[in-house]
Amino acid sequence: MVKHKGRNLFDIQFQRQLRNPWIWGAFFTALLIAFPLVIVLSNIFIPGDATWQHISRNLLPGYILNTIVLMTGVALLTFLLGVSTAWIVSMYNFPGHRFLSWALILPIAIPAYINGFTWAGILDYTSPVYVFLRNNFGIDSGQYLFFNILSLPGAVIILSLSLYPYVYLISKAYFTRQSSSLFEVASSLGRNHGDIFFRVALPMARPAIVAGISLALMEVLNDYGLVRYFGVDTFTTGIFTAWFAFSHPQSALKLSAYLMIFVLALIIMEKTQRGQMRYDTLGNTYRPLTKIKLSRRRAVLATILCLIPFLSGFAIPVVMLLYWSSLTFEYVVNYRFTELLANSFLLAASASALVTLLALFISFTVRSFPSRLVKLLARVATLGYAIPGAVVAIGILILLLWIDSNLGISSPAGIRIAITGTWFSLVFAYLVRFMAVGYNSVDSGMEKISTSLDEASRSLGVSNLKTLRKVNTPLLTGSIISAALLVFIDVLKELPLTLILRPFNFDTLAIRAFEFASDERIAEAAPAAMIIIITGMIPVFLLNRLMGRIG
Amino acid sequence: MNILELRNITKKFPGSWLPAVDNLNLDVAMSENVALLGESGCGKTTILRMIAGFEVPDGGTIKINGQVVSGQGKFIEPQNRKVGIVFQDYALFPHKTVWENIIFGLFRLPESEVNKKASEIIELTGLQGLEKRYPHQLSGGQKQRVALARAMAPEPELILFDEPFSNIDSMRKQQMREDIKNIIKKTRATAIFVTHDTKDVMSIADKVSVIRQGRIVQTDNPQKIYTFPVNTYVADFFGKTNYIKAKVSPEGYKTAMGIIKTKSPLPADIKDVLLSIRPEEFTTCKEKNDCFYGSIVKERFMGEYKELTCKVENPSGENTEIIIYTIPNAQCTNGKCYFKPNEEKIHVLKKHDEY
Repeated sequence: MVKHKGRNLFDIQFQRQLRNPWIWGAFFTALLIAFPLVIVLSNIFIPGDATWQHISRNLLPGYILNTIVLMTGVALLTFLLGVSTAWIVSMYNFPGHRFLSWALILPIAIPAYINGFTWAGILDYTSPVYVFLRNNFGIDSGQYLFFNILSLPGAVIILSLSLYPYVYLISKAYFTRQSSSLFEVASSLGRNHGDIFFRVALPMARPAIVAGISLALMEVLNDYGLVRYFGVDTFTTGIFTAWFAFSHPQSALKLSAYLMIFVLALIIMEKTQRGQMRYDTLGNTYRPLTKIKLSRRRAVLATILCLIPFLSGFAIPVVMLLYWSSLTFEYVVNYRFTELLANSFLLAASASALVTLLALFISFTVRSFPSRLVKLLARVATLGYAIPGAVVAIGILILLLWIDSNLGISSPAGIRIAITGTWFSLVFAYLVRFMAVGYNSVDSGMEKISTSLDEASRSLGVSNLKTLRKVNTPLLTGSIISAALLVFIDVLKELPLTLILRPFNFDTLAIRAFEFASDERIAEAAPAAMIIIITGMIPVFLLNRLMGRIG
Repeated sequence: MNILELRNITKKFPGSWLPAVDNLNLDVAMSENVALLGESGCGKTTILRMIAGFEVPDGGTIKINGQVVSGQGKFIEPQNRKVGIVFQDYALFPHKTVWENIIFGLFRLPESEVNKKASEIIELTGLQGLEKRYPHQLSGGQKQRVALARAMAPEPELILFDEPFSNIDSMRKQQMREDIKNIIKKTRATAIFVTHDTKDVMSIADKVSVIRQGRIVQTDNPQKIYTFPVNTYVADFFGKTNYIKAKVSPEGYKTAMGIIKTKSPLPADIKDVLLSIRPEEFTTCKEKNDCFYGSIVKERFMGEYKELTCKVENPSGENTEIIIYTIPNAQCTNGKCYFKPNEEKIHVLKKHDEY
């Protein structure tokens, strides 16, 4: 009888991994992606100098406080908006429920900073809305209509309007997946709707809801455009100040490291609350929910409740931006604008092509050579999505500056050609930040392909690369397109990372829109903003078609 | 000459206490059809996947056609092993036609030869006229033949079948078994089947290895295994049997229902044994003579045969129940039955063979 000895480092399995170019590829990709993050984190232990002393004593407490208030506020508001609308839309039948069930997703297409400056424009003293109300109804509340939106509460509201769809989507998916018998049993036991919601649906959906809120909060930590515009100082604005105003890289790094602690805390919180929670599923007896028809008064109430986030998060800002665009279109859309468009689209296209290709490659590696090591590599490679763009940018900037000063290539004229502030650094940063977006999409498609297809191909003597090309890729077309599209859109609207890493005098649509808005030329920001929004709507339409097909 | 040799193959999956495959040895000769039979989770599929190269053994050696493909510090990747597989779900490429599926492994050949080879294999598997169809336009049996044709086209050293008939409805199963067997026999291919269905084994295999908890319990031809299982586990796996406790005596086996005679030599080294006699190895008699006598306690009509349960009484009160398969109009009447076992088919299990 052979004794089962422990794995030694040189057993066949390990040697096979050592010889495998796919695993080496995944290893280098993961290394590349992890590097900037490690640089940032390692800085936390280096003692700070006087500038850092100043920042940490006078500014850091404010950053922390503002960040905590923002997170708490957004958590509460996205919970209220997202869960209530998800419940109403999945449980009840009322006029417009079909339209609203996907219209409620649309606000996700508007980046928070665009929504922010649009609303600031709407509520401003000179806005056409305010002028109309003032002249015709005598409503006058000072410089701003109703209240000063450029404030911490204003930031909470706008962020929540842009981010509640995360909570809405995930809770709606959860509610509609439940078998109706679950709710019917509760009513047969004498519970009314309110009871069913609070005692059955809500506790059951808790892990899903918290996951949705965590996603929204990660976006809060990532946000730079909105908080800068609204004058709320947080870590991201602090990183910009340290880098650009104080020219003090060390402080920017330290702030980034602190910000990453917040991210980490968020991830751990989300993981622990999920805990060992696993629910028994009801197996074959699944019956989809039959929607309950509401009485007239309640139906009106439901419609209004669902219209509020849709109107304020999407319809009103879009109408306003369209109006502004019509005013400034001829003036703004010139050859300079075409250049912007080309910059943005080329950048987004190259980043999305690279991300999708690497995602396809890593997903296939994990599938074909599953081992603890390979799975770990895949996790490392997709780490970046949790990390705020500004942090990724600082990490990469430090890395590239070091490479430039130590290994930079000298041109014949004696001028050093740096890679810092080039397309390369931007695409690299997008890769780090958006790898997970592409990977998740490709991988979920990959999971639907039976592994025996790959194995059949390999047993017929076909190489791994050819198997990926001839078997997996044709079957993954949909997932690959959606991965590329999602990354494309994320790059198109990305702001903080692009602002830090862009080449000199290089603008994108997002940057131009943000700069116009910052200069109080909101109307001129509208055309660029509209292009970002319209592109961002494509996946919402696709999602709607997909949901329609599922039923 | 052996096409396949497994020596001391061991595989343990992380997180499991018991090895999935435990120090297993297996030889498969050229043109032999071997079945690995066992319950789900016994490790048979793992063995198949190790032969194909989709799992790496923890220890031991696998040789294909005399060449080490796994072990001794070597590992040949699946694409270089020349092992064809027919998967349980057939694994036909859904985006390719029947023709494209079949030529998928022939990429090393020049085009004229590809066409010739594919046409041959299509004729052999009876797939003429279906070349342009896509997998979703085929029936289960057709899909299986395409999967077989695709696996056979590159002329592999051996072909592996993973639960080949589990997705085919029972009406068509027997026909499919025969078709597959004929195709394999015609090409003189070497094949290994993994299955939990003894009927697959009976109709297709030259040799069966019964596997339990990662080890081979018994290897023999199906007929022998059926009649002479090494222990009660194997005996039960192949269907109903009567276990009768007996003592070895000069005139035969002494049991509670009397002496059972045998034409085989009696075991010399052991006194207490367990006899295993299959229900169909009994014949009914007209009268007592040297037959046993029992009252029928249960009668089940099974269509082509009848299952009788007879209670044989013993003065000491130790009764024996015997299950007998008879033709539906057997000579048993009035709830009584005379019967005797086939003296050539009395199988002896030593006491410790009992599970």
